[in-house]
Amino acid sequence: MTLGIGGAGCKLAALLDDSAVLVNVSETELAKVPGGGRRILASLHAGKGQFKGSRKDRRLGLDAYLSVKRELLSLIKGNMVFSSTGGGTGNGIVSGILGDLTDEEDISTEDKTFFAFLLPYAKLESSEFISNTSEFLAGPLAGAIDSGNTGNIVLFSNRVKFEKRLSEQKFNQMLIESLKVFLAIPDKNDQFRLLDGHIDHEDFALFSSKPYFNHFTYFDYNPEQSFEKQLTQNCNPLLLAPEAPIEALFLLEVPAGGDPTMFYSIVEYFTDKKVSPIYSVVENPSLKAPFITVSLLYSRKPAELVNDFNIIAENHAQAKVQKSLDQYVSLARLEVNMANKAREEVKLRGEEDVLAILKRLGKL
Amino acid sequence: MSEKLSSHESQELFEAQLSRLGEAHYLVLLWSAKSEGKAWKYNLTNFFDDLKHLGITRTKQTAVAVIEAMASLCFIELRDESNRKNIYITKYGAKALARLLEARRYESKASAYLEV
Repeated sequence: MTLGIGGAGCKLAALLDDSAVLVNVSETELAKVPGGGRRILASLHAGKGQFKGSRKDRRLGLDAYLSVKRELLSLIKGNMVFSSTGGGTGNGIVSGILGDLTDEEDISTEDKTFFAFLLPYAKLESSEFISNTSEFLAGPLAGAIDSGNTGNIVLFSNRVKFEKRLSEQKFNQMLIESLKVFLAIPDKNDQFRLLDGHIDHEDFALFSSKPYFNHFTYFDYNPEQSFEKQLTQNCNPLLLAPEAPIEALFLLEVPAGGDPTMFYSIVEYFTDKKVSPIYSVVENPSLKAPFITVSLLYSRKPAELVNDFNIIAENHAQAKVQKSLDQYVSLARLEVNMANKAREEVKLRGEEDVLAILKRLGKL
Repeated sequence: MSEKLSSHESQELFEAQLSRLGEAHYLVLLWSAKSEGKAWKYNLTNFFDDLKHLGITRTKQTAVAVIEAMASLCFIELRDESNRKNIYITKYGAKALARLLEARRYESKASAYLEV
């Protein structure tokens, strides 16, 4: 099952899963999402009905989480959660979830939650989105990763959407199609003839339950070229770039009659990196060239991610200050002589006559 | 050899004296200056009546203590004239009053005697 939390999270979850559970603080937003299944309205204690979102305020989302906490903590077990990190609802509610997961003693492999977060494109999106994301990465996400109580965490980025000027609908569809390629690995193992190795549903579930960032990608594999070069060239542009992997998994699909031994050079590449990959090789008769799906699990310290975002946020703040200075008139420098000012005040209060008297009397 | 105060030390002494003045001390300087401007005589009894009228004190001893302190500091001069102890502000008292007025440390209050 899939859960979508907040505006962006609901849209993504509904695209992946017709029966996705959608969570939001706004009835209007919930009603607008096409598809998906059950809707859960998290309570904001609003007097006039809940038709507004969290207005980018992650504290509102976190307050609303308390109204659905018990239900959500049971629903996320062993499932997948989608949310954005920039807005108020998704960020706030998922912060609550991650906080509670962090406090758990131990979570079994089958109960681990796979998280997919959509991060704003720092160059072009609002500074609230960036600062919300920084706080989210540095706080609840860092804590949850340290506790080891999450499953894989996928960090989607809005970069391609803005750089290629894509519609939200089209971009969301791209994200989901991309994720589906990764999620299809165990089904392809069931469906196609196995040539080497094996990744069954249990292997895949175990891999997905590991508390690391997951960068998955896929491309036509040319056995004549270095795998490292091809992997570098074919990073998934929809995700944040990966760090050096800790664990890896790949599925190599070869056309009918293709060489089933071409995977050895890929295994060697990973072994050189001190990573023993989980892999399988299958024969896919619909293909004309070998096709590989790779997933790299890496542990980037959230502090480094936060640092990236903070640099951007800082630049935004400086640009805003400069803009304000450019827009508004410059202030003239005020020269204030406190003694003169005090004398003026004395005069205003009608006490100057006392000083005049003393001068007249020759005492001042 | 006797030690003399430098001008800097004198200034320091003046600032220290000034910092210790209370509202009643300020009012005696203010009212004595105003009465002298009108060429009126302002005496200890007038001062006590004014303080009592404003609710600053209910005892004459307090008024006497304020006056004696200010006289000791050479900010006022007390002269026995026609069986009255009349109060005159000195040039040091004038400087102190000017500073207190500029600093707005105390609110200027009206003397019932001088406002008649």
